Amino acid sequence: MFQVEKPQADGLLAPFESAGDAGWTVRHAAHLLGRAQFGYTPNELNRAAKQGLDATVAQLLTPQPESAEFQQADAALRKTAFATSEINDLKIWWLYRMWSSANPLAEKMALFWHNHFATSNAKVQSVPQMQAQNDLIRAQGLGDFKQLLHGMSRDTAMLVWLDGNANRKRHPNENFAREIMELFALGVGNYTEKDIQEAARAFSGWHVREGAFWFNRLQHDESPKTVFGKTDNFDGSAIVDLCLKQPACPRFLAMKLLKTFVCPEPTAAMIDAVAGRIQLHDFNMSPVLKELFSSRLFFDPAHQRSVIKSPLDLVVGSLRSLAATVKWPAVSRLLANLGQDVFEPPSVKGWEGGRLWINSSSILLRTNFATELASSDQIATLLPSVADGAGGTSDAVAARVERLLLGDSSSAQLHADIVAHHQRADGNALQKLRSTLQLVLSIPEFQLL
Amino acid sequence: MHGSNRRDFLRLLGSAGIISLGAVPPRFLVNAAETPGVAGRDKRVLVLIQLAGGNDGLNTLVPFGDPAYEKARPGIGISKGQALKLNDHVGLHPSLTGLKSLYDEGKLAVVQGVGYPNPDRSHFRSMDIWQSAQPQNENPRDGWLGRALEWQFDRQPALAEALSLGTDKLPLAFVSTRVNVPTLRRLEDFQLVDGQGPAANQKLTRSTLKQLSGQSATGELDFLRRSTTTALTSAERLKSLSSTYRTTVNYPATGLANRLKLIAQMLTADLPARMFVVSLDGFDTHSQQQPGHAALMAELSGAIRAFEQDLVEHKLSDRVMLATYSEFGRRVAENGSLGTDHGAASMLFALTRTGKAGLHGTHPSLTDLTDGDLKFNLDFRCVYATLLDNWLEIPSAKVLGAEFPKIGIC
Repeated sequence: MFQVEKPQADGLLAPFESAGDAGWTVRHAAHLLGRAQFGYTPNELNRAAKQGLDATVAQLLTPQPESAEFQQADAALRKTAFATSEINDLKIWWLYRMWSSANPLAEKMALFWHNHFATSNAKVQSVPQMQAQNDLIRAQGLGDFKQLLHGMSRDTAMLVWLDGNANRKRHPNENFAREIMELFALGVGNYTEKDIQEAARAFSGWHVREGAFWFNRLQHDESPKTVFGKTDNFDGSAIVDLCLKQPACPRFLAMKLLKTFVCPEPTAAMIDAVAGRIQLHDFNMSPVLKELFSSRLFFDPAHQRSVIKSPLDLVVGSLRSLAATVKWPAVSRLLANLGQDVFEPPSVKGWEGGRLWINSSSILLRTNFATELASSDQIATLLPSVADGAGGTSDAVAARVERLLLGDSSSAQLHADIVAHHQRADGNALQKLRSTLQLVLSIPEFQLL
Repeated sequence: MHGSNRRDFLRLLGSAGIISLGAVPPRFLVNAAETPGVAGRDKRVLVLIQLAGGNDGLNTLVPFGDPAYEKARPGIGISKGQALKLNDHVGLHPSLTGLKSLYDEGKLAVVQGVGYPNPDRSHFRSMDIWQSAQPQNENPRDGWLGRALEWQFDRQPALAEALSLGTDKLPLAFVSTRVNVPTLRRLEDFQLVDGQGPAANQKLTRSTLKQLSGQSATGELDFLRRSTTTALTSAERLKSLSSTYRTTVNYPATGLANRLKLIAQMLTADLPARMFVVSLDGFDTHSQQQPGHAALMAELSGAIRAFEQDLVEHKLSDRVMLATYSEFGRRVAENGSLGTDHGAASMLFALTRTGKAGLHGTHPSLTDLTDGDLKFNLDFRCVYATLLDNWLEIPSAKVLGAEFPKIGIC
């Protein structure tokens, strides 16, 4: 019988297995989980290595049931943030989810969208509104971008953040209209100043009342507007639709996805390839990510361990691999000092990342984090399954640590150096293991994803 | 592992109160000597002292010869006899003896009538304007030094180094949306911590880490290795600061003096931050101004004087340019409670070795006022343009968005 299937991607996005590569290894599993999650637990790595690419990608993209413990903690942390109205409590709630959720890709995508629609509580000043926006990006994060963009244009935190709430018929405010074109949908060079001015009028009267979106008819400009060469009595929704129809939109999204998940400087060919898939899948993120994560491009050796870990990748990732329990307030402060303070991005442009994460003080903070995490219980307690790996020869201990923290990517020389370190370290087996963990968590190789 | 040197150093810091190593400073700990191309003019340093609250320029640089001054300030005015005369018309506040000596030695520039169009009298807004150097921008998202650091970072990242001391949070002047810099409130955050477990293992880990980071590589790994080496070296240097630094200069026991002393220490240790901002608070003198303002003047003057002597002693004075600024001056006429309210144009000081010392510009008229405030005759961005182009050698038009005429302070 016929099965109607969307054509498989080819060229750059051809499936990984068909490339005749050396097959599926721990290294590939670690690469996939490292990019698609905030690190991985020892179990997740073992499972992915065993079950292969397709099953792992399918699991990442299929909603998994959360444990009772997770649900309880999640609800309690959320309740606390609402009760205190403290954004710091909401940060801890989200960090906990990144660390512990059974749906880690959903959290990674939520951060992707938080960076894309970067909104700061510094101006919004409302835990419920920041929470609502976070719920939106999580609910839609792997779904339909068209719905997400529409949702974001009516999101109350966004309406406060980009002054939609101050956009009135006789006094249009261009802030949101500008950013939806520059930062959310199209990118610089794909619109004119006139487009922004006209679009701003279409969003006039999109206000907030009693914490909810409110169409303020009296402040909405009903007169005709001309945007992207089309003239009509557009309202805000029509402008969002017009943006989504611009050819620049899938390309802009493709560029952002590639930068986040594949390589810091995607080529035009890569962007075209991914943009084509976004168009084909009608802006549905899940199948696009499925193809991306299964592609030769994604596993290109040149792209593996080529990206500097963001503070969240480094800190939450290390905790996911090593920690049984975590002292979240300390972790949250550390992340702010390292430059990635969720719910308070530096500007509407979000975090630029890459080399900008690194400076002398952040290196020292990263090194101190490694020291405290590995050698003490100051930040977190060690997972029993990790501590149980303290026995055996130096070679065996080093190999276990490298498999977990470096995804088996270490060179023979680095392995020899780590073995030598374990041999020379003082103390009992656990202390020697802790010292080895401390070293590996501090080395430059570990700062790469 | 915590030797007595470290304890000494931390004690010194403690005495300086809350030290916010806030700031920009990305790679401020980099060892310049090990960074190729960082030498000579590249080692020039800019120190800014923020006089927070709005310094009363008229009682700092006193126009004692002007009858309008006496008339406007019957209760808090400084008489011709008290002022430290610079010429027949103006003199310094009597507590500014240190600055007077520097003036007499030809090292101090006094810039008059500094301000900007349509002055705002809100502390918050006016400080934003001074720090962003974007008077038109209601919600500035970066500062003038932040933008200067971005320009520098894109060319020579090793020189994009700066540091803020004694401020609760990063001053807007240093804020950049691209050069992402942590705000560290304590100097301990620039130290490597010692973990638990056998002490020997901490030493071993550090030496292995140093050895592994010293190997050559390419791409991001190379960048990370070099950054790690730099950070580790700098942390060692910082830790030994108190043992390598000696001075015969007697710094006053004030917060500002401690912060400037720390800068001198860092410069002697060759930690190549190029820009420092330190803050001296308390200038919002609405009532009973005289004693408090005199104490602040004494703190400012004593600290700068000692700092300058220390720089000379360590042969660093040619590398350092220092300037003060405040968000606004104060109303010409004193108010009913022997204080002054928020004003507009004011003056600033600059310690210079390469530029023209002495008085710059003209003193604003005390009779031709706007809403009771002095009119500015020099845009503050001319001062910034001069510091950027002539001192830091960072193109001012890129940072300020336009060309501004320069003045001769450097």
